[in-house]
Amino acid sequence: MMLWSLISWPYARKHLLRWMLTMAGIVLGVGVFVGMHTANRSVLSAFQETIDRIAGSTQLQVTAGEPGFDEDILEKVQNVPEVRAAAPVIEATVATGSGNLLILGVDMLGDRSLRNYDLEDTDASIDDPLVFLAQADSLLVTKTFAEKSGLRVNSRVPMRTMQGDLTFTVRGIMKPGGLASAFGGDLAIMDIYAAQKFLGRGRKFDRIDVALADGVSLDEGIAKLRAAVGSGYEIAPPSSRGEQFEQTSRIYSLASNITSVFALFIGMFIIYNTFAIAVTQRRSEIGILRALGATRSQIRALFLGESAVAGLIGSTVGVLFGIVLARAMAGYIGGMLTEVYGVAQRAGDVALDPLLIGGALAMGIATSVVAAVIPSRAAAAVDPVKALQKGRDQAVSERENRLRQWTATLCAVASAVTLAFNRTPLVFYAGFVLSVVAAVLLTPALTLWLARLLRPLLQWARPVEGTLAADSLIQGPKRTSGTVAALMLSLALVISLSGLARSSYEAISDWTRIALNPDLFVTTAQSVSARTFVFPASLGDGLRKIQGVGEVQSVRSVRVNVKGSPVMLLALDIASMEQHAKLPSVQGDPHEMYRLTAKGEGLMASENYMRLHGAKFGEVLDIPAPSGRLHLPIVGVVRDFSDQQGTLIISRAAYVRTWNDDSVNVFRIYVAPGAQEAAVRQRIIDTFGKTQRLFVLTNGDVRRFIRRLTDQWFGLTYVQIAVAVLIAVLGVVNALTVSITDRRRELGVLQAVGALRQQVRHTVWMEAIAIGVIGLVLGLSLGVVTLYYAVGMARRDFMGTEIGYSYPFDTALVLVPVILFAAFLAAIAPGEAAVKGSLVEALEYE
Amino acid sequence: MIHLRGISKRFEGKRTVTALERLDLDIARGEMVSIVGPSGSGKSTLLNLIGGLDRATEGEIELDGATLSRLSDDELTRVRRDKLGFIFQFFNLLPTLTCVENVALPLHLRGWPRAKIEARTKELLNLVQLGHRLDHQPDELSGGERQRVAIARALSVYPPILLADEPTGNLDTATGVEILKLIHDVHERLGATVLIVTHDANVAESCERTLRIRDGRIVEDIRRESARSSTEEPTRA
Amino acid sequence: MNRRAVITGLALLAVPCLAQDPRQIMEEVQRRQRSDSQHYEGTLEVIGGGNRIATKRWMYDRLGSFGASKAILRFVAPPEVKGVGLLIVNHADKASDQWMWRPNIGREQRIAFQDRSTRFFGTDFSFEDLEERDVAQYDFKLLSDEGAAWKLESTPRKSSQYTHSYLWVKKDNYTVTRLELFTKKGLMRTIDYRDFELNKGVWTARTTEINDVTRNSRTILKFDKLEYNSPMKDADFTIDALRRGV
Repeated sequence: MMLWSLISWPYARKHLLRWMLTMAGIVLGVGVFVGMHTANRSVLSAFQETIDRIAGSTQLQVTAGEPGFDEDILEKVQNVPEVRAAAPVIEATVATGSGNLLILGVDMLGDRSLRNYDLEDTDASIDDPLVFLAQADSLLVTKTFAEKSGLRVNSRVPMRTMQGDLTFTVRGIMKPGGLASAFGGDLAIMDIYAAQKFLGRGRKFDRIDVALADGVSLDEGIAKLRAAVGSGYEIAPPSSRGEQFEQTSRIYSLASNITSVFALFIGMFIIYNTFAIAVTQRRSEIGILRALGATRSQIRALFLGESAVAGLIGSTVGVLFGIVLARAMAGYIGGMLTEVYGVAQRAGDVALDPLLIGGALAMGIATSVVAAVIPSRAAAAVDPVKALQKGRDQAVSERENRLRQWTATLCAVASAVTLAFNRTPLVFYAGFVLSVVAAVLLTPALTLWLARLLRPLLQWARPVEGTLAADSLIQGPKRTSGTVAALMLSLALVISLSGLARSSYEAISDWTRIALNPDLFVTTAQSVSARTFVFPASLGDGLRKIQGVGEVQSVRSVRVNVKGSPVMLLALDIASMEQHAKLPSVQGDPHEMYRLTAKGEGLMASENYMRLHGAKFGEVLDIPAPSGRLHLPIVGVVRDFSDQQGTLIISRAAYVRTWNDDSVNVFRIYVAPGAQEAAVRQRIIDTFGKTQRLFVLTNGDVRRFIRRLTDQWFGLTYVQIAVAVLIAVLGVVNALTVSITDRRRELGVLQAVGALRQQVRHTVWMEAIAIGVIGLVLGLSLGVVTLYYAVGMARRDFMGTEIGYSYPFDTALVLVPVILFAAFLAAIAPGEAAVKGSLVEALEYE
Repeated sequence: MIHLRGISKRFEGKRTVTALERLDLDIARGEMVSIVGPSGSGKSTLLNLIGGLDRATEGEIELDGATLSRLSDDELTRVRRDKLGFIFQFFNLLPTLTCVENVALPLHLRGWPRAKIEARTKELLNLVQLGHRLDHQPDELSGGERQRVAIARALSVYPPILLADEPTGNLDTATGVEILKLIHDVHERLGATVLIVTHDANVAESCERTLRIRDGRIVEDIRRESARSSTEEPTRA
Repeated sequence: MNRRAVITGLALLAVPCLAQDPRQIMEEVQRRQRSDSQHYEGTLEVIGGGNRIATKRWMYDRLGSFGASKAILRFVAPPEVKGVGLLIVNHADKASDQWMWRPNIGREQRIAFQDRSTRFFGTDFSFEDLEERDVAQYDFKLLSDEGAAWKLESTPRKSSQYTHSYLWVKKDNYTVTRLELFTKKGLMRTIDYRDFELNKGVWTARTTEINDVTRNSRTILKFDKLEYNSPMKDADFTIDALRRGV
């Protein structure tokens, strides 16, 4: 400790800026880690809280996926003797002027035995249950929402329903707390039968909430209920809805973990770099300490201690940064959750998990300490006698160099070997790691080689400055290669991410062209994917009668639980699909699969369903449905991007039969030959617009929507790219700052023998640009390899879709000026530092 | 050639240290002057001020007609590179450059054409008797050889003034003698004004004029008629 | 106990009897109460906390009696609740079936058995209190002879929110004048019958006051246009009829 305050602190204080830059990698790595996971957890806990609050005293919920089930099931459930109370629920999120409103449709008669509706005391006795029921336009709103929207009892609330534009009346205002605080208070209660009507649900419920009689255990309750309703229903405690979400958000966690690991990995090089230089600079200090009796292990402990403290500070800042990040990300993940489950939640304050934060701190500190191991060993190995003599550091030993190159070659070969056997994830990821390790180990040698190659070029550009810049790189391979490695890794990351994004874009736009080719889409909401409202099937007949309408396809998309994961079930007219929008076949006979599916003898699965859920061609899927279970073999695999979790396509007839649900999410319309698209669109709106909640989107609208959705999907990727570029820039700044400090004397000499300040600046700038060039060459090359793995990873674990390997040359081309400019920017401050300060001191430096 | 009027140099810190105190000095063109004095007497500071590496707190320094205090940093650099050559105790060669490149450095900085630089560099290295070591790097040379390269670099533009800070301080006696001989030779051949800061009495006495400095003041100004007592051997051409 | 008492009131002629057997007392109560049909217009005043008063009106028709009766109840005022109806089909051996008609969304809704204990639309009645059950569905115990009245305890044999209740039967005309209804948590409601009137041989309480002890709220029901044994059709007591409206 004494040693630390005497030796380390003054040094750190003197090089504050450098230490700050050094910690940047840790800050980012820890920040992204904490941010993503905290956001995830906050959303999850907000979700869980909303579930809990809505659940009231509900012990079990009876569900049958998104399509819901017929209301006569309620009686079956209520007749189970072990059930104390069972209340039907419809839950939907509806966009209003003041944000999303969670509409909870309940049966006010029975629901009070599960949930508390504490109403604000109002003057009138209008909060009359009879009035609430007698008037279908009744709403109960929370005090929070009422105050936010300026509502009082009897206030009118406009809403766009399946019955057209209607106004609802506030019949009561719920006191805050309990149910009224679910979904951040943006909650309204509607009579469930009114909700059925206004949301177009027919005579269906989303679920039944059940409270068991006293003394009945959950397991017993589940067994009795299952016996009563059949196996097509899911019966589980409300909390299990959260577990499903956790599974879905796993993908996002994994993706962010990779970014974190990369950031920390890159940060490790920056730290290594800084420590290696610090050890060099402090050789005489170390020599003095050793001469005064410090042991080798004391010296080693000193440096490791410093790195631990740096790691601690960096991770602490990272945690704070992560909390800021979490707030931004929570909304994003929340949106995804609502999209996937149609279940609303609202993340209020981010919830901090001490364990997560502890883990993140430990991770940051460990990274820092690991990075400092080699430099601190070098410090401990300093010979006191030699160190006290003035002179330069000994160069990297030939033996070490050769050892490194051999290891690198070995790694590269091993990595190449794994390519042949990359069936299992372990081998695949091992190959990835090996190739990166090989690249990192080869960095010093490659840097040296490239710097030599660059020397004549730089010399030609500016004889003195160029030479000096190149030589600085050649002379300090240790100093530079850390940065180059960091830069290389960052760029490789950027290349793989953007290559991935681009390939996916291509794949998705191919699919869009094929699958989304109708001229018009009649939907219940502005977004094609919203499933809150549904149309009655009869609307299709009405649409067919409209002049200029050629073919109408009725599409029902619902999320159902297959083997415990929520997947998208797409029910449509298969024959029409084969004729108009035939998806490319990945596996299975392209005609036969349509024939079997149309007959209801099989289903087509999307490629990503197969991969993400490990399904096999021909496998019989067991899909729960209210009328029992639907057993259909996978008769074809197609490329479809309708859903991230995977899509199952069945015939509409089979769906209607099994789910007893003939409602429709989207009508896809092909305009008759010769008819004007815009005119047809207008006719549809004129005919149905007044009596029906309905939107008519053009093909362009839908494509734009998909494009936006895809952008959102890759939102995280862009964050990762930004992080990677940022780290790259920080790495260059760090390396240059270190380099300037290291070469102060040299730059002093340069000025003493007549270099103008501009010339010194040019030297620094050229060095920066040279680092940029080398980093670019290595990074863009490594990107070729990492992109391969990224594509494999996406196929295997994220998207489940076979996407082509397509090197993003455009991105690479953009990166060249970006990185060179960034390197130049990074060089400005160090360049100024080089020409400022006393020449005399610079000459006497060391 | 060099005129100092009322030069003071103070270092501000927790307590102010006065390195030079109202010092006046005139050095004529072609003079070879040694500056001696105990450690911390201000002799290096004086050399740094004359060399334009540092600025005086008070007073004027005129160098071959240029008043240093009135110049900007870049103008100072120009004066330095046109009129001055530096020789350091620790040579201060750039370790990555070869002899040729080190010597050529100031010429490149002046933007000389390549051919001219090449000719001049060879000429200089021959002058310091290193014509056979053109492409060697500093760490392949002995201490004396390195100092010769440094001298060649200092002479690259044939500056009218040559400043040397302990040029023999880091060399063994025999090599020191050789280097001193080289400096004398250069002085005679080029007619440059030479200022040498030294601890070495031999070096000091070899000069025709010696300034003794103590506590920031010139306490003694010795002029000698024959100042070649320690370097009797004739120099080679 | 005769649940019908709650709505229709009891109106019995004084007859000599063996008196001491509680079941016989109750069977006599039920006998005197018997009628083929009943019609009345009721006014409900709900007097809640802070003496807020809400007034509603309904029309009531019943066909048949005790365990075999069917009844339709339809709100006529205030305007916001007009048209809401309730069909009650009583059974001899089990709890009744009840359906509610909601004209505004155009559909009927079954009132689940589990919901029978909930308050009937903001009044102090529960849905169960609207049923008519045969005395055969209860066990009785004579608790005391209070001079002009007997105090009895009745215990439902099945399917009730109540564990037991106390009732007071006037000796002179076998009318029930007061009911105290108990749940597992203790006293829940009290019902008082007042302003008896003899109509077509049936003693009918024109005023019924029901007190929800737990909420400190009471509801007063007053009968107008009371008619017994007017002709009614079975077909008017079906779900379709409920849907059609009267």
